[in-house]
Amino acid sequence: MPRLPLEGIRILDSTYVFALPYAGGHLADLGAEVIKIEGPGRPDVTRTGGYAGSFPENLAGERWWNKPSTYNLLNRGKRSLVLDMGDERGRDLFRELVTISDVVMENFTPRVMRRWGLDYPNLKKLKPDIILVSNTGYGHGEGPYSGYPAQATTQEATHGHCWVTGYLNDGPAKAGASFVDFLSTWSAIFALGAALRYRNRTGKGQWIDIAMYQAGVMFLSEYLMDATINGREGGRLGNRHPYRAPQGCYPARGTDQWITLSVGSDEEWQALCQVMGRQDLASDPRFGDILSRRNNHDELDELLGQWTATKDKYDLMHLLQGAGIPSGPVLTGRDIHFDPHYKRRNFLERVDFPEEREVGSRFLMGRPYKFSNTPMSIRGPGPEFGQDNKPLLRELLGLEEDVYQGLVADTIITDIPASGEASPQMDPARAVELGLLADYDPEYRQRLGLV
Amino acid sequence: MLTGALDGVKVLDLSEDIAGSFCARLLADYGADVLKVEPPGGAALRRMGPFFHDDAHPEKSLFFLVLNLNKKGATLNLETVTGQDILKRLAPRVDVIVESYRPGYLASLGLGFDELKELNPELTVTSVTPFGQDGPYSQYRGEEIVNYAMGMIMSISGVQGREPLKHGGFQAQYEGGLFAAATTSMALFGREFTGQGEHIDVSITECVASTMMATQTMYPFMGGTQVRRRASGSMFGHPMPCQDGWIIVQTGGGASWEDLSEFFQCPEMLEERFADRAQRAENGEELDRIVIESISERGKWDLFPKAAEYRMLFGLVQTPSELAQCPQLESRNFFREIEHPELGTVRVPAELFKLSETPYRLEYPAPTIGQHNREIYVEGLEYDEQQFTQLRQLNVI
Repeated sequence: MPRLPLEGIRILDSTYVFALPYAGGHLADLGAEVIKIEGPGRPDVTRTGGYAGSFPENLAGERWWNKPSTYNLLNRGKRSLVLDMGDERGRDLFRELVTISDVVMENFTPRVMRRWGLDYPNLKKLKPDIILVSNTGYGHGEGPYSGYPAQATTQEATHGHCWVTGYLNDGPAKAGASFVDFLSTWSAIFALGAALRYRNRTGKGQWIDIAMYQAGVMFLSEYLMDATINGREGGRLGNRHPYRAPQGCYPARGTDQWITLSVGSDEEWQALCQVMGRQDLASDPRFGDILSRRNNHDELDELLGQWTATKDKYDLMHLLQGAGIPSGPVLTGRDIHFDPHYKRRNFLERVDFPEEREVGSRFLMGRPYKFSNTPMSIRGPGPEFGQDNKPLLRELLGLEEDVYQGLVADTIITDIPASGEASPQMDPARAVELGLLADYDPEYRQRLGLV
Repeated sequence: MLTGALDGVKVLDLSEDIAGSFCARLLADYGADVLKVEPPGGAALRRMGPFFHDDAHPEKSLFFLVLNLNKKGATLNLETVTGQDILKRLAPRVDVIVESYRPGYLASLGLGFDELKELNPELTVTSVTPFGQDGPYSQYRGEEIVNYAMGMIMSISGVQGREPLKHGGFQAQYEGGLFAAATTSMALFGREFTGQGEHIDVSITECVASTMMATQTMYPFMGGTQVRRRASGSMFGHPMPCQDGWIIVQTGGGASWEDLSEFFQCPEMLEERFADRAQRAENGEELDRIVIESISERGKWDLFPKAAEYRMLFGLVQTPSELAQCPQLESRNFFREIEHPELGTVRVPAELFKLSETPYRLEYPAPTIGQHNREIYVEGLEYDEQQFTQLRQLNVI
């Protein structure tokens, strides 16, 4: 087996929710030993099945906190240590672990690590070349919002995305899922690779300070330039493109099925008319060039929607792409499990859970990239709460059995969360009725070959 | 003495698009030495607005400018044999090539990863494309809206009864760029131990898809398919209008439902019909009406710090010019100024994150077309003046 890039790197991953936990999961794919650290009374919220995570067969059941879908996707391939960082004994064990680790990741609000004496200057005293990765909503420092609570859903408004997202001539909107978390995920991976290389060459660690808000704003760079230099405020174009026309999302055959397409040049427009069998449109002056197509976009939308509505979304993609026109179907979470391209690229990996987890086998997303020399895969599901307490503390740190049992007795360590409850799951048929789910397919396991 | 985390890393950026350009810019931002290699007419991105004072000139694309900061620039016509030879002379001198051409295009010029690896076994080629290097759609054309559609997010964006909705701007392309920079940095670290480069294959569609945690996993875990939100009765978690703009409030965080009721000055929220999530969903339209009315006379900038006192998950919809003046971004030193030879001093969004020992630095504006040709070809590859002139006359550079 080729050597994975992060082989031999130990990461203490004291992070919660989405952004850095997912970075930790990807770093485990890359070969790192990632130790997820949670508090006895503070299991990661994704363990509750909240934030639209799912339980197997929609049932929480025994030891539900090890089962949710999103928890296992994000935390795949990690080890788990449960440690009360609110207690000095817990912090001491954490400090001992720091001295034998390469990286610490945390996403507490800025004051927490300082209060615990675990901020970068203190960690550096324990391990001079430690790399600390911090992710917060607004970033460390003296800024006015640094202490504000934050999370992706609401930041998407604050960092400007809602202003440019929304139907044409309508108010700002939030996309269905927040994505700013993942800008922190990948900023962390990027920064960590660079920092590890730097450490390898100089022997020096450093502190990586990521702010989700700042990353979100970065992704609107062209709008900021337009505002600063041209005084323009951007705004919402719906599904249209600032320069190409027509572009949109049109109905395809079936219930809630859709096709997108985007036409830029006059040649592409001519090709589209050909594919539609509408030579009359090819010479229609209303659509002859890009400017007229933009000015008459509403009429074009009408014509295109009539043409697409009777055709299968995949047939439309192949037809349009065959003519050189960018096009693709709107794929649902279900669709991608049966899509030949996703299949061929092995984007979804079958992960087999240990039998006692009572989860069986499930498909989880792998990575959006491949390395030619170094094949990677998900190395296992997310760890059970506290599953590695003993090997980490007894074997790695060499704690005596009686000391270990004392920690158990005082709930400094545990494998049962002291708080939290499974997020209530609605009956799927009822959820479909209420418009909270698009569809429910009781045959999913057979269809996916998971039984 | 290294001053940037990626100091000493040499990169050729062959990309003409958003994703590849952003990837190479991030590498440059943290210390890599990046050369933008463009066709003689300039990269395609130079033809994309917004433009400086709306003047559609290839040196005035603000989009090109902001994605190509910290790079030097040369021109090279890869469709000529001489141009291909020059790239083969450059390949052994660099660590990374970033490219975003249609899969197979560089190989058709004799410049594929396998050929270049022969010349430089330590070379990493980072390819960032709409669908990746292989698979049935690899030759298909991508556009932002297509990446969104096929990456699942459109299936849950927008409202029921209307068409799925894409994000504004070019988020998928930026994501492709950031993810590509991240994987490149990991490959560079791995190379420290293996001495081997990698061909990195980043699919922009998969970048979008990979963020859809709940959407993907729901089907194999319980057979459900997520849906767009209902057109009304679901304002929590979505922008709602206040006196002078829009705010967004998410339930949860450090604030209880009682706290929210107090914040909104809205005692009706505590009535039995809104007691739990299911009832709030069923009586959602009424709830929206009450809440929106309660803020119709309140301004977003007053609500923002108030919400922080309640430890609420709160946001306000900011416009680009508000962001450009944001005191938080100012405190983080996010914007920097740089002198551009054609445009004068421009203020640009600069620093993605902070590194304590090897801080971000802004050294160059984006290059003008062929700005560093002499440095690369005469000083670097040692063409003499006559050859240099010939390269230009033959449209190689």
